[in-house]
Amino acid sequence: MKVEATEVDGRKVYSVRAFNQGIATWLARLPTLWVEGEVTELRRQQRWQSVFFTLKDPDDGSCVSVQMPRGQFDALRLDLVDGERVHVFGRPELYEQRGELRLKALTIERYGLGAHLAALERLKQKLAAEGLFDQARKRPLPRFPQLIGLVTGNDAAAKGDVLTGIVQRFPAANVLVAETYVQGPRAPAAISTAIGDLCRRGVDVVVLARGGGSFEDLLPFSDERVVRAVSSCAVPIVSAVGHEQDTPLCDLAADVRASTPTAAARLVVPDRAELRARLTQLRERLHRGARTTTERHTRRVEAAHERLRRAPQLALERRRGRLDTLQARLGALSPVATLERGYAIVRRGDDVVRSAAQVTGGDELSVHVADGTFGARVE
Amino acid sequence: MTEPTFEEAQRELEAIVERLERGDAGVEELTRLWERGEELYRLCAAKLDAVHGRIEELTRSVEQS
Repeated sequence: MKVEATEVDGRKVYSVRAFNQGIATWLARLPTLWVEGEVTELRRQQRWQSVFFTLKDPDDGSCVSVQMPRGQFDALRLDLVDGERVHVFGRPELYEQRGELRLKALTIERYGLGAHLAALERLKQKLAAEGLFDQARKRPLPRFPQLIGLVTGNDAAAKGDVLTGIVQRFPAANVLVAETYVQGPRAPAAISTAIGDLCRRGVDVVVLARGGGSFEDLLPFSDERVVRAVSSCAVPIVSAVGHEQDTPLCDLAADVRASTPTAAARLVVPDRAELRARLTQLRERLHRGARTTTERHTRRVEAAHERLRRAPQLALERRRGRLDTLQARLGALSPVATLERGYAIVRRGDDVVRSAAQVTGGDELSVHVADGTFGARVE
Repeated sequence: MTEPTFEEAQRELEAIVERLERGDAGVEELTRLWERGEELYRLCAAKLDAVHGRIEELTRSVEQS
């Protein structure tokens, strides 16, 4: 259609209709293409010729109106509901009456679980290849955290579970809570920011908690930004997202994975009752150790004292023993025993007579027998 | 000296107990270890009994999405 302008005071002026027609004509020259987004505000009425919905960008919320003839839409049998991810094949067009841009859909495909899973799998492979999930990167959690950071939604369940779990086990725990979006297009950036904020505030462990939800609900926790934020978290981080069977990618990047928010609480704080029992045990060992050592010292002193007390007597006994020995040796050398057997010692003056040649007739001799001495004369 | 954390105090207490259990501490050392052990025990117990930790909100600016 030709767009006519009129001349008014020397300038070309278009009517609104003509302007819209011109834009519409220009837009119609653009190629058909695929657009991906989330379905919102789906409007379908029996008396309408067309079905309308808004296609929303899950990342930043950008929107475009989509229109499709009702017959075509119904023939697709998609049963779309708000929030579903779709691929729309169509071309841009101008709704001339209102001058509004919209996407005229030629066909629509549900962006299925399969496509999501494949995209997730690709991301997983890529991050794994970078080493983000390596076991060697896992850090141990502090045994006694001074300040615990908790990233959670403002939904009561997960946050309550973690806080209750922490306080029950260890009432002295300090917790800094960062509430954030945990689903929807704003969640990935918000979660990443919250993790960084908590680290800057000096927490020494972070818990990332979210209750169960649909596959789509948990998608932000597999978002590359979140996974990277978890993997580069300055302090150890526990991931407690969804239920046991869910494995969002942030679980793989976290230092420790907890199956539930309550389990996460058990991991980050020690149990006070256990600590108290351990402490009592330590004190008993302290006392026992002190007692044992004291007893050992006492025994040593007593033993020394006993030896000291017995020392003079021992010395005496030793001397007496030596005397007895000497006496015995003396006894062995004495001639008394020989004399008793009937031998005699004969002396002339002071000399012992050992030979008959020593004496001559008339010599006075003295004879020693065992019990006395008598005189004798040589014949 | 700054007050040790619970973890530091417990670790020191454990070391003292192990030292005492070897049974070869001298008399003066024994007294010193015993007194320090008791002190650490009281410190840990007091920390455990500190009933209230703090729960703080970092931000409250998130509106219902």
